[in-house]
Amino acid sequence: MAAAAATASTKGNGGGGGRAGAGEASGSRKKKGPGPLATAYLVIYNVVMTAGWLVIAVGLVRAYLAKGSYHSLYYSIEKPLKFFQTGALLEILHCAIGIVPSSVVLTSFQVMSRVFLIWAVTHSVKEVQSEDSVLLFVVAWTITEIIRYSFYTFSLLNHLPYLIKWARYTLFIVLYPMGVSGELLTVYAALPFVRQAGLYSISLPNKYNFSFDYYTFLILMMISYIPIFPQLYFHMIHQRRKVLSHTEEHKKFE
Amino acid sequence: MFKRHRSLASERKRELISPGATRSTLKNDMRNFHSLSQFILAAGPLRSIPAVKHAKTTHFEIEILDAQTRKQICIVDKVTQKSTIQDVKQKFHKACPKWCPSRVGLQLERGGPFLKDYRTIQSIAVSSIITLYFTDLGQQVSWTTVFLAEYTGPLLIYLLFYLRIPYIYDMKESSRRLRHPVVHLACFCHCIHYLRYLLETLFVHKVSSGHTPLKNLIKSCAFYWGFTSWMAYYINHPRYTPPSFGNKQITISAINFLICEAGNHFINVVLANPNHTGSNACFPSPNYNPFTWMFFLVSCPNYTYEIGSWISFTVMTQTLPVGIFTLLITIQMSLWAQKKHKIYLKKFSSYMRRKSAMIPFIL
Repeated sequence: MAAAAATASTKGNGGGGGRAGAGEASGSRKKKGPGPLATAYLVIYNVVMTAGWLVIAVGLVRAYLAKGSYHSLYYSIEKPLKFFQTGALLEILHCAIGIVPSSVVLTSFQVMSRVFLIWAVTHSVKEVQSEDSVLLFVVAWTITEIIRYSFYTFSLLNHLPYLIKWARYTLFIVLYPMGVSGELLTVYAALPFVRQAGLYSISLPNKYNFSFDYYTFLILMMISYIPIFPQLYFHMIHQRRKVLSHTEEHKKFE
Repeated sequence: MFKRHRSLASERKRELISPGATRSTLKNDMRNFHSLSQFILAAGPLRSIPAVKHAKTTHFEIEILDAQTRKQICIVDKVTQKSTIQDVKQKFHKACPKWCPSRVGLQLERGGPFLKDYRTIQSIAVSSIITLYFTDLGQQVSWTTVFLAEYTGPLLIYLLFYLRIPYIYDMKESSRRLRHPVVHLACFCHCIHYLRYLLETLFVHKVSSGHTPLKNLIKSCAFYWGFTSWMAYYINHPRYTPPSFGNKQITISAINFLICEAGNHFINVVLANPNHTGSNACFPSPNYNPFTWMFFLVSCPNYTYEIGSWISFTVMTQTLPVGIFTLLITIQMSLWAQKKHKIYLKKFSSYMRRKSAMIPFIL
């Protein structure tokens, strides 16, 4: 869900053509767009993020070639993954100060679910780090993020190659379910260890009369994927039809 | 028809031309006699002239178009000058029964503000045929229904938890332990709070006959009912821990709670009976009642007292979920208070000295 949500991201960073939520490829003509300083900053941000995810991708490939198997590759890219995924929190700030025309709530939701999975599940429950499901969502995220950030970079510079646009609006068909399965399997694998260690849970009686069960929280989170996943997925498919057919029409007229 | 065109044209030349129309547009309009209504619609602000020269009262025709498709839905005719938007909506309802007046949103132009029910046709008319755009505002409920649902829910839900309906708590544990008096006191205070709200909604508040979309009802009920269940679960739990500072903490916060409740009540009474004296109309001001002296310090003391009540309740029960609820409603009410404060500043700037919106001297 975090994978898809990022792919589905409603309005994307900065100006430029085809964006998801707003739905129109011609939306850029109507809106004002960020000023030159903001654009420069956003370009730098997006380039740095693209580079970061490329580092993670290269790290995965190198680790695979070195080890010869695809198990336990998480350890080789743990640090850059944490750094660059947490860096995505800046996107919430971008929406809040208005240099990116996305809704703050939606972006927070997307970014926080990613950050939650990285820190509160994968980092906190060490036994889960050697699972294969971790590799599943890391690969899905890596490919998605490389394409997404390069899409934003090119959009901001107004030179969007059709290939990147096509990739962004097509690869999600495979990557989204892949990412969601990876995430769900990881959370599911973490459950027994959370129960055993009583991780992040408070029970009664205590001075402030409060209780929190992390185990139940994780289960509820997994259940929440059921209504949200189809909505986002079909929204993206709908966007794809709009954006890619719109571009074809433009090509016909040229 | 030709004579009328001439008279209109000469009238128009005498009047100021509206910013929208240009000289050339006027000339073109005069040349094309496509339809009378088109011509009149394209005209600038005309003084409303009688549609029929020898009639004494002016009758208007209102054409109602769909705001999205611009298709004509119906025409409401024989609308007098003094009728209001509310009358138009009711006539529209008679013509098209599926749109109740409360669901109807009428705008003068697409994307403009919705016209309020009390506005008269005279104030918005520029000619004898008016075009209004219609938007369906969705299923509406009256504000009174919303308040009653919002406040009855928590009252009953808390009692369910207090009376320990089976299956909520472990039966063996519940029957064994004696309950600390603060649990009973908390139930009493909570019930007083919501009973007071209900009685005020029914007898004190002069809620305007306004309506609100159905989803607002669902949202606020979900919020209040959800949080009340969460709070009530912990306060009435067999493993509830009484406050750390014992009876001192409980009595002081209980007294504070009662003071804030009384204050809130008196403020609501004052707000419901505004003084309409001259320029001070509808600006609430303090009177002999000491509780209303909060008006000297803040512009929305009802919110101040409410936050006071909930903070006292939090301290009295020393329960974190109550604290979280208090924080959330404080945030929501501070937004409302800021808005109201700005309105007061604009309208009554001479009376608003050294006042804050909600929390004295701070916010």
